[in-house]
Amino acid sequence: MTDTSDPPDRGDDPSGDDDWYGEADPRVPDASAWPDRDLGFLGDDIYLGEEAQVAAELAGSHVPSVSAEGAAELRELERRLEQQRTPVFPIDLRRRLPLEAVWRRWRALAMWGRSDVVDDFGRDPRATARWEWLFEFLYSKWFRVEATGLEHIPAKGRALLVANHAGSLPYDSAMVMHAVRRDHPARRDVRPLVEDTVFHLPFLGPIMNRIGGVRADPENAERLLLKDELVAVFPEGEKGMGKLWKDRYRLQRFGRGGFVKLALRTGAPIIPVAVVGAEEAAPMLGKVTWFAKNIGIPWIPVTPTFPWLGPAGLLPLPSKWYVAFGAPIDLGKAHGPAAAEDRLLVNRLADQIRTQIQDMIDGLLGQRRSPVLSAFLG
Amino acid sequence: MASSSTGRVVAVTGACTYLGGELLRRLEEDPRYARVLALDVRPPALAPGGKTEFVKIDLTQPTIDGELATLLERHDVDTFVHGAFLSHPTHASEWAHELEDVGTMHVLNACAGVEPRRLVMVSTTLVYGAHPKNPNFLLEEAELRGHRDSRFVNDKVRAERQVQRFAKEHPRVEVCVLRFAPILGPTVSNMYTRFFSRPVAPVMMGHDPLMQFVHEQDAAYALQKAVESRAVGAFNVVGKGVLPYTTVLAMLGRVPLPMPQIIARQLTKVLWTTQLVGSPPSFLDFLLYLCVADGAKARRELGFSPRLSIKRTILDFLGMAPEDGATDVARAHG
Repeated sequence: MTDTSDPPDRGDDPSGDDDWYGEADPRVPDASAWPDRDLGFLGDDIYLGEEAQVAAELAGSHVPSVSAEGAAELRELERRLEQQRTPVFPIDLRRRLPLEAVWRRWRALAMWGRSDVVDDFGRDPRATARWEWLFEFLYSKWFRVEATGLEHIPAKGRALLVANHAGSLPYDSAMVMHAVRRDHPARRDVRPLVEDTVFHLPFLGPIMNRIGGVRADPENAERLLLKDELVAVFPEGEKGMGKLWKDRYRLQRFGRGGFVKLALRTGAPIIPVAVVGAEEAAPMLGKVTWFAKNIGIPWIPVTPTFPWLGPAGLLPLPSKWYVAFGAPIDLGKAHGPAAAEDRLLVNRLADQIRTQIQDMIDGLLGQRRSPVLSAFLG
Repeated sequence: MASSSTGRVVAVTGACTYLGGELLRRLEEDPRYARVLALDVRPPALAPGGKTEFVKIDLTQPTIDGELATLLERHDVDTFVHGAFLSHPTHASEWAHELEDVGTMHVLNACAGVEPRRLVMVSTTLVYGAHPKNPNFLLEEAELRGHRDSRFVNDKVRAERQVQRFAKEHPRVEVCVLRFAPILGPTVSNMYTRFFSRPVAPVMMGHDPLMQFVHEQDAAYALQKAVESRAVGAFNVVGKGVLPYTTVLAMLGRVPLPMPQIIARQLTKVLWTTQLVGSPPSFLDFLLYLCVADGAKARRELGFSPRLSIKRTILDFLGMAPEDGATDVARAHG
C-alpha cells in the first residue's frame, strides 16, 4: 500500500538532486524521469525547431523542462496571441480534440498528386508526372506517332514552334509536347499556347494549365520566349479547331501574324511543325452552335462517335500520326526587331510560313498509300 | 514646430489598419523621421518613443479637407501616406464610398493646397479585376478594369483614378501608388484571411486560377520603402511565386466545395444579402480568372523584393513552422 502511494516518477533516487530545485510539484511529471534526447514524448505534432534540437544534442542529458508556472504563463501568452491573430484554427480547440491529426491526414490527402511549388505559369511538376502515362500511351500505342526532324530543335535557348491545328480536340498540342520531351536528346519542355476557348473550358483548361499550357496572349508568349523556353503556337487558333472534315489539312488564315511579330521582337527562330493524323482521330462532320453558347463553348462537335456514344465518344479514333519538325527560320537575323512594326512584311512572312507548313503537310499526306485506310493502319 | 530641420515629418491616414500600424512602428524606430502624425478615427496602439502623435481625422466628414490642410501646414508635413481603405467589403456601401472615394478627394484637396513633397497611396491588385483576357502577369500599365457590381473594388479604382489625375496636375508632388497583392499573415485581417479561415471554401467547378499573395511583413517593408524612396508611379507589391487556388486550399487543409457557377452565384447572392458571408457575389470572379501582377517594377525602381515565397506565406498564415511542425510548445503540459 505504501509502495503504490509513492509517486512512481520519483525514480531510483528520491533524495537526490531534486532538492536543488526545492519541493517538486506533484502535478508535474519529474523531468529526470523523462527519456533523454528522445523528444517523442512531446507527440509527433510538436516540432521545437532547429535550435531546440541542437541544444538538446549539446546538453546531452538535459531536456529543457517547463515548470507549472511556466506552462501557465505560456498558455496565457498563447491566449493573448490567439486574441490578436486571425482565428484560423483555435489553438485551444486543437489541444482538446484530436483534430490536429485528422486535419494533417486531410492535408496530406488533399495534396496528393499536386506539388506545393508551381512555375510562374502554373505548371505543376507532380501533376505533369501524373498524366505522363496517358500521353505515353496515346503517343506510342494509340496514335503510333512518328516524329521526324527533332534535330532542328535547339538543345537550349528560345524557339517558336509553329504548327497546324487539326482535329476537334487539342490532342495535337499534347503530342507535340510529348514528342519533344520523349525523343529529343535534351528532353525539353514545350509550352503550348492555348486558345481562350480551350483555356477557360471547365476541367480541361486547368489540366492543360497544370501540365504546361499557357493562355495564348502576346505578353505571356513574349515572357516565355525571353526566359528561353520552347513555345508552341497554333496560329490558326479557334478556326483551326473548328475545321470540318471536308476542309481537313487545309490551313486556315494564320491569325493576324502575331507569331511573326513575336519572333521578330524576341529574335526566336521559328520551327515549322506539321501534324498529320489528328484530323482522322476526331473528324468533325458538323458542328452545333445553338445550345453550345449556353454551356460556354463555341460549338458542340459532331463526330462519327460524338455525341452518339456519350462521353466515350470524345475519345480519339486510333489514327496513325506523323509529326514533322522543319528547319528553323531565323527571321530576327534577316529583318531585325524593328520589322515587327511593318504590317505588310509581317503578313507576308506569316503567309510564307503558312505555305511552308502546308507543303510539309502535303508531303506527309503524299507518303500515305491510300487516303482513308492508311490513315489508320499507317 | 521647428522639427522639419532635424528630420522628415510623415502623416499617415488609416493608422489603425494593419499596414498603417506597421508603418508607424517602423517610422518610430527610424531616426531619419522627426515626427509622425497618425490620422484615424480612433487612436492606434502607439509605439513607445513619443515621435508619433495621434490626430483624430474622420475622412467621411464633409469639410475635413480644410482641417487636413491646416494640419499639414502647421506640422510642415513632408510625406503623406494615404492608407485609409477598407480591407474587407462591407454592407454599409454608402459609408464605404464616402470613406474611400470621397475621402481620397478630401486628402487630395488638402495636398493640392499644401503640396507635400511626397504622396504615397495604398491600393490593391484587385483593381485590375479578374478577367478572362488578363495576361499571366499584369504590368502596372494594364487597364484598371475594376469589377462589375463590386463597390469594394470600384471605389478603390475611382480613388486611384483621382490620384492619377492629381499626379498629372501637380508634377511637383512625387506620387507613388502601391498595389498590394492580397496580404496574408498571422496577424493581418482582411477579406482573404477571413475567406481562408473558414473550414469550407467554394470552388467554381472545373476552374482553378493561379493565385498570388504577399506576406504581411513583406507588405509592410514595401510601404516603408515607398516612404523612403523617391520613386514615382504605380508599383505592384507581390510575393514570390503563384499557386493554383485548389492547391492553396489543400495546403490550408480547407475542404473545397465545388459548385456550378450558376448555383454558386445565386447562393452567394443570398448569403451576401442576408449578411451571412463577408465576400460579395462578385468575388467569385477571382475564383474563375487570373488576377496576378508582376512585381518586377517594384524590384527595379523601388528596391523592394519579397523575402517570403507563397508557400512560406501560407504556412505562416496557418501558424505553422516551415518544417510542418506546430509552434505551440505549451501544449506539452496541457
